Amino acid sequence: MRGKHRVVVQNNKLHYEFEIKRNITIIQGDSATGKTTLIEMITQFQNLGASSGIEVICDVPCRTISGIDWKLILNNTHDSIVFLDEENSFINTKEFADIVSGSDNYFVIITRENLYSLPYSVEEIYGLRASGKYQNTNRIYQDFYNIYSTTQENPVEPEVVITEDSKSGCDFFTAVCEEKGKKCISADGKSNLFRLVKEKEGEEICVIADGAAIGPEMNRLYEQVRKNPKLKLYLPESFEWIILKSGIVGGKKVDDILAHPEDFIESQFFFSWERYFEKLLIEQTEGMYLQYKKAKLNAAYLHDKNKRAILSVLGEGNLII
Amino acid sequence: MLSIYFGDMKDAIYHPPTYFDNTYEDNWITDPLSVEMIKDVDKSEVVGPNLIQSTVLGPIPPKALSGGVKTLMLFKFDETGKVFNASACGNNCAKWILKIADSKDLTINLRHIMDFGNGDFNIKILNTDIVVKNMCELADVAGEYV
Repeated sequence: MRGKHRVVVQNNKLHYEFEIKRNITIIQGDSATGKTTLIEMITQFQNLGASSGIEVICDVPCRTISGIDWKLILNNTHDSIVFLDEENSFINTKEFADIVSGSDNYFVIITRENLYSLPYSVEEIYGLRASGKYQNTNRIYQDFYNIYSTTQENPVEPEVVITEDSKSGCDFFTAVCEEKGKKCISADGKSNLFRLVKEKEGEEICVIADGAAIGPEMNRLYEQVRKNPKLKLYLPESFEWIILKSGIVGGKKVDDILAHPEDFIESQFFFSWERYFEKLLIEQTEGMYLQYKKAKLNAAYLHDKNKRAILSVLGEGNLII
Repeated sequence: MLSIYFGDMKDAIYHPPTYFDNTYEDNWITDPLSVEMIKDVDKSEVVGPNLIQSTVLGPIPPKALSGGVKTLMLFKFDETGKVFNASACGNNCAKWILKIADSKDLTINLRHIMDFGNGDFNIKILNTDIVVKNMCELADVAGEYV
């Protein structure tokens, strides 16, 4: 499945309205915000249709899955938005992750657990909130809000940069940091970020990581940010996304894709968006002097004009290196 | 005192709200602490053991209470010695977990880092057998396990 899908679920008391645009969406947040009620309403509509008294409006089928037959049902569910409540302990298994990775469904998972087998985006971790009455009815309007804000209001000028990446992205930031007399350290994978950040407590640090897949790490990273005001997180989709965004490769086609990636990224083929951006950048630069390889940075990206264009994307996110 | 085991815990009750639905007693609902917790977390008033007035849903039975409040009541009243997964509770339940643990030894399982607020506390982390006194200390230890 691809694209952005608006979902409305309502009865005479509640009106839920939100958009789903990636293969994995997580709902968490406070108790008593209506998460389980949402699942129950979708289940009732799934079983009884309009005679349930519930309305579900979406351009693709919405359904819930639970219980021991989950694999059987999932293997026979296609092009749907699948909602899972927190009672399903299988959501943190490798078996479930394997199914999600090749699935043509989108998944909306209610859980506070950090699902390390799934590469979900920091932007797709939501809470539910009541936002008053829906239009002129007595229904309570329920919508999503981002649990983690991804915008940095004030400019950040770190002493130390920690990259999740150990390859091209790290090569780029290491070169830039060396020029400025700053330190750049590779965490060699997102799962090492927490320990590295803890070790560096007290220093002006900025972590640069792939926002497209950092979701499972956010709970423990965010707690580190709360206790250390000198720690900042910069979470673009990926290093390849920064390059594409800089405008040094591509052109109109790439601009169109970046404006609404969800219309181009097929969930069945891309477990997370950063894999798509990597493929796109490789395709766009094939045979060019800017030919991109993940394993080692092409030195052309460090040529002054290119480097400045890439750094200007960071600047838009208020990161100055 | 509150004790927490972070991460997968084999014998813990993974989904306490279901366990609650099938084991709760009427007097749990009308207990003064439950009345207070239901008012605070669910924004609902206990009318009687089988009726709660919800501001959003109208009159509801105990089974329609939030998963968080159901789990809190298990922490308070369940006497089987079972350990319950407190990741069924949002951060708005944290102060109640601390309050319940003021009057009994309570062991819970957490599969995420719950925010216990800015105050001081004494929480024993069973994974390491150490006592943490605030969120900074708790987050440093918990991040190794969840």
